[in-house]
Amino acid sequence: MVLPQGVTDYLNENAQNNGVEQPKPGDDLFKSGVLDSFALVDFIGVLETETGIKVPDSDVKAANFQTLEAVERYVESRKG
Amino acid sequence: MPETSVSNEEIAERLGLEPEQIFKSSGIRRRRWAEKGTTTSFLATEALRLALEDAKLKAEDVDYLLFGTMTPDRFIPGSAPSVQKSLGLREIPCLDIRAACSNALYALQLASALTTSGAAHRVAICLAEIQSAYLNLSPEAGTTSMLFGDGASALIVSNEKTEGALEIIDIHLATDGTYVDDLGLRCPGTEFGASHTHSTGENASDYFPRMVGQSVILQASRKIVASCQAVLQRNNLAASDVRWMVPHQANANLLAQVARGLKFPTDQGGVISVLEDYGNTSSASMGIALDTLRRSGRIQSRDRLLLPAFGAGFTWGAGLCVAVD
Repeated sequence: MVLPQGVTDYLNENAQNNGVEQPKPGDDLFKSGVLDSFALVDFIGVLETETGIKVPDSDVKAANFQTLEAVERYVESRKG
Repeated sequence: MPETSVSNEEIAERLGLEPEQIFKSSGIRRRRWAEKGTTTSFLATEALRLALEDAKLKAEDVDYLLFGTMTPDRFIPGSAPSVQKSLGLREIPCLDIRAACSNALYALQLASALTTSGAAHRVAICLAEIQSAYLNLSPEAGTTSMLFGDGASALIVSNEKTEGALEIIDIHLATDGTYVDDLGLRCPGTEFGASHTHSTGENASDYFPRMVGQSVILQASRKIVASCQAVLQRNNLAASDVRWMVPHQANANLLAQVARGLKFPTDQGGVISVLEDYGNTSSASMGIALDTLRRSGRIQSRDRLLLPAFGAGFTWGAGLCVAVD
């Protein structure tokens, strides 16, 4: 699946603000400096708004959102 | 508060951190650490003595004592009896509670229920910690140990609407034991061992605070906001109806995240933080922040206050109060 533009826009803007490169599909969003724990909370809010999924607190862990590919898989699993 | 203030500069090297790094990641520049040998009940007693003076009450006026702490004087009994003795309270019920950084909210809900039911008329709440005695001051625990300070606060809850008092409107509390190992201190206890020899073995870290920082931040950020929204919604209020947020003083970045999540205005100093000077004093922190706000004289009649907290367990919640006319 392709993530909504608003999701990738958020990550790209975060990357720009943090002075790092825009993330590619397999890049670790945390190690590359695109996200940290606080930014992940905001990112999940964006994800919920843009995709219509609801992320339960029990799924709020970095492993589910480590890369763009992982984010896509997660969104698909919630929509499935 | 203990007299000794310990700056980031004084501990950064031992913790393997830079002073400014501590400030940027927590909002803390210094914290109070009690002198060795100081008991938690001593700090609590002094706080309650000041609270009674402030409320123009005497020790004999108190008919119930709640003491929230995770760093008690002794393993058994609780520390509330020590406060009862040192302050000369009557032979009243004295109860320790152990809801970690949510202790203030749990104590307020209990005290409110006691006074509403008539089981008690004036409940004294002590909230105190001496955490410095338990910290691992080495680089392996630097990002945890940099946070914590010692201190105490005390509140009086009664049915009397006295001048300068706050009325408790509602308190929302919750717990999820799934995260019991993500924040806390394992030993001594029956699950991981109670023998003091255990502390020198391979599990010595079980005697120090443990914190899975990412889990705490992620869960706290969401659960605190949800709890605040719950308590506001069931009272038909919005965040914009609240003048002051007086949260548990966990971490400045977390407080900012919560304010952002609630769309709570931060430009007018509505979020009270004492983190810079006192660090995270766990059970005591909300009371210390509340006292700081009261002493500033900025609370106006009918101002609403939101009191969010999150702690080990995980326990969390939010209280809603209004300044009495």
